Amino acid sequence: MLNWLFNLETKRKRLLDKAPAGPLRNYLESPFPDKNSSIYGTALLALDFETSGLDANKDHLLSVGYIELRQNRIILDTAHHQIIHSTRDISGENISIHRITHDQAAQGLALAKVVESILQQLQGKVLLAHHAAVEIGFLQQACKTLYGMAPVFPAIDTMQLARRRLERQQQPCKANQLRLFNLRKQYGLPAYQAHNALMDAIATAELFLAQLAHSNYRKPPPLKNFLLHP
Amino acid sequence: MEIELQEIRDFIAAIPPFDRLPKNVLDALTSALSIQYVRRGKTIPMEKDSAPTLHILRQGAISLYSGKDNLMGMLGEGDVCTSFCAAEVMPDFYVKATEDTLLYSIPCDKLSRLVEDDQSVLHFIRHSAAQRLKEAVSNMQEQSSSNLLHTYAGDICRGELITASPDTSIRDGARLMSEHGVSSLILLDGNEPVGLVTDRDIRKRCVAVGLAISSPISKIMTRKITSLNASESLFDALLVMTREQVHHLPVFDDSGLKGIITTTDIMRQEGLSAVHLTGAIRKAPSLEALVEASKMLPRIQLQLTNMGADLRHVGFAVTAVTGAITRRLIELAEADLGPAPVPYAWIAAGSQARWEQTSHSDQDNGLIISDKMQPGDDEWFESLARFVNNGLDACGYVYCPGDVMASNPKWRQPVSVWQGYFEQWIEQPEPMALMLSSIFFDLRVIHGKEKLLKKIRKNTLQKAPRNQLFLAHMTRNALTHRTPLGFFRDFVLVHDGQHDDTLDLKHSGLVPIIDMARIYALAEGLHEIGTEDRLRAAAGTPSLSKGGSANLLDAFEFISNLRLEHQAAQIREGESPDNFMSPKQLSKLEREHLKDAFKVVQTMQAILEMRYHTDRI
Repeated sequence: MLNWLFNLETKRKRLLDKAPAGPLRNYLESPFPDKNSSIYGTALLALDFETSGLDANKDHLLSVGYIELRQNRIILDTAHHQIIHSTRDISGENISIHRITHDQAAQGLALAKVVESILQQLQGKVLLAHHAAVEIGFLQQACKTLYGMAPVFPAIDTMQLARRRLERQQQPCKANQLRLFNLRKQYGLPAYQAHNALMDAIATAELFLAQLAHSNYRKPPPLKNFLLHP
Repeated sequence: MEIELQEIRDFIAAIPPFDRLPKNVLDALTSALSIQYVRRGKTIPMEKDSAPTLHILRQGAISLYSGKDNLMGMLGEGDVCTSFCAAEVMPDFYVKATEDTLLYSIPCDKLSRLVEDDQSVLHFIRHSAAQRLKEAVSNMQEQSSSNLLHTYAGDICRGELITASPDTSIRDGARLMSEHGVSSLILLDGNEPVGLVTDRDIRKRCVAVGLAISSPISKIMTRKITSLNASESLFDALLVMTREQVHHLPVFDDSGLKGIITTTDIMRQEGLSAVHLTGAIRKAPSLEALVEASKMLPRIQLQLTNMGADLRHVGFAVTAVTGAITRRLIELAEADLGPAPVPYAWIAAGSQARWEQTSHSDQDNGLIISDKMQPGDDEWFESLARFVNNGLDACGYVYCPGDVMASNPKWRQPVSVWQGYFEQWIEQPEPMALMLSSIFFDLRVIHGKEKLLKKIRKNTLQKAPRNQLFLAHMTRNALTHRTPLGFFRDFVLVHDGQHDDTLDLKHSGLVPIIDMARIYALAEGLHEIGTEDRLRAAAGTPSLSKGGSANLLDAFEFISNLRLEHQAAQIREGESPDNFMSPKQLSKLEREHLKDAFKVVQTMQAILEMRYHTDRI
């Protein structure tokens, strides 16, 4: 695991050499947060995408929501939500979940603009998501399309933290148990009615604060204890 | 604010005092929040030296403590914690999460800037419980001033409905109206109202035009009936009467015709009904008639409350009726027993003496008899006491559970024995004896010789202020009634984290204030008996500061009015009024105000406790 962490920062430097000038290069220029520093002092960006499906190669982004965590708090005035421009067909099934209509998608902001602001927000921060592979996969795919190469992202995955916790306690993992809604219920967090990318990002951030509060550390734990294992 | 945060904004928007903020301010407030998760057992704030902050509980529960394990309150979902709004928090004060808790937090300086135009939110953050309560009471007084708006047609037209068939002769109709003392008659075809006849119709359409009084009454009736719904206010009634130029309005509810409202009814709304009732009581020929008349009492209380009357008015009206019933019972007894062998005074204790009764309280009374009393005279007084006590019970004033009644020989004694009682209570105070006798320090003559009580009272008011041990015992007894700490979810939070399902507005709200007012009056030798009178008279004396007096008056008024509203609702539903209120019946705002009232009482109790060192007796 430490090897992988080491590789992450090395990879960043190597990618920086190849990166074209612009948003991606700006993102890669900031060092990643120190893996040994306290998790409380680490700036996190909780991020959630609504997508047309789960395959980053075939499906596309519909909207993004993100919000910052500092010093163990979710800061609501950093909340941001954006619908992403699309003229492609969105399957009817998905509309019922995310409620983004064709008209709204057609009026959304261009992908390039959206990814630029996400990369800017992520500079020097750790990405926080539930089932982070999806968010990372889509973000990397978008970068490939836009800049011809995909960067790496230090990330915390609340789903992986939950799975690790179960493994540590040697408990079997039941179906659906690791879903955001069910994990939140388990920690006594409120059931939010709205399902947009921003509320899901906040829901994930709250879940992380709960996981952190329940982990019973005697002193502030380092970031590396939480980072996503690829 | 991002519109996607609406769910968080809506949560805040439902909580007083934020519920009155305009949408743009709520949006800004929502954006200014931060979210924290506090693990059960952890203290708040989690960081030391935090700036003054207001917390709103989104989920979970927290407990407020002063000193070691002294629980001051508990907060749950939707509650607001202002404990950290002051720059200086009490040194031994701390807050602990008793469940895993999700908090929305905002620094107070940021909040103040956002709500700079809204006084009520600023007051909420900056003011003490007493200041907030004062504001609530003055708002309440403003609201209750328009009485006709708050009295409903259905509430005042419950009298006997006089109807006749349209075939009835004018003569018989008029006779029926005279018999029942009404000025109108509704004519029913089966169950269907087909017309209305008033005094005026008989005059104008019959007598003045020489129509035979044997003609059917349908000839002179008004066929087009203008009516009113039972749920409409008297103000609506007044508008309809003015518009339609009519003086009588039949009132309907879902089940049909309910009664009639007249212009006189509307004019009478200024409390005259209680006066009419006392008139009827004075003329009541028998116990049965008194029992009938006393059944009117809840309705009078309801009417007065609907009109926006406060405890002073309702208490005065209801107590006046009780006094009239008592006096009439004594007169009926004397008519039967013959004149009293020696002079005496029938005395009332407790709420009747203080003019603070609401519908059908328990009876507390006694007899002070002249020292000229001879052996054998007591037989007469015992018969009197039994008749009156039984009569009061039949009229709905149930027997005193503590047997404080004239039928108990202990409370039917000559002046000298009473004098001895008071001297002993004051000079050799015993906690248990004082507990039972404290209501005798609120005493009033209902019937008979005022002079007999006067001497005893004068003596008492001279001795009481000088006897610190007596006052200390009275204080300690008074402190056995405590207000709750507040509310937690839908429970009443009493001491030690115990929960009650209902709030006893009397014993956990009014009694602690009544008891303190009595002590202030005795300590200062004041002759006032009513709680509010006592608090006003004691203001600025060594016993009670002017500020303390004003705060207790606000608390007393707020809780009294809440009780009147609660009882009015019960009477309206046909239930018998009581003092028990479920927190579910209270709005969030009322809970906040009640909590402030409780805090005022607790503060004043603590001052009294220190003054008389009740911990040392």
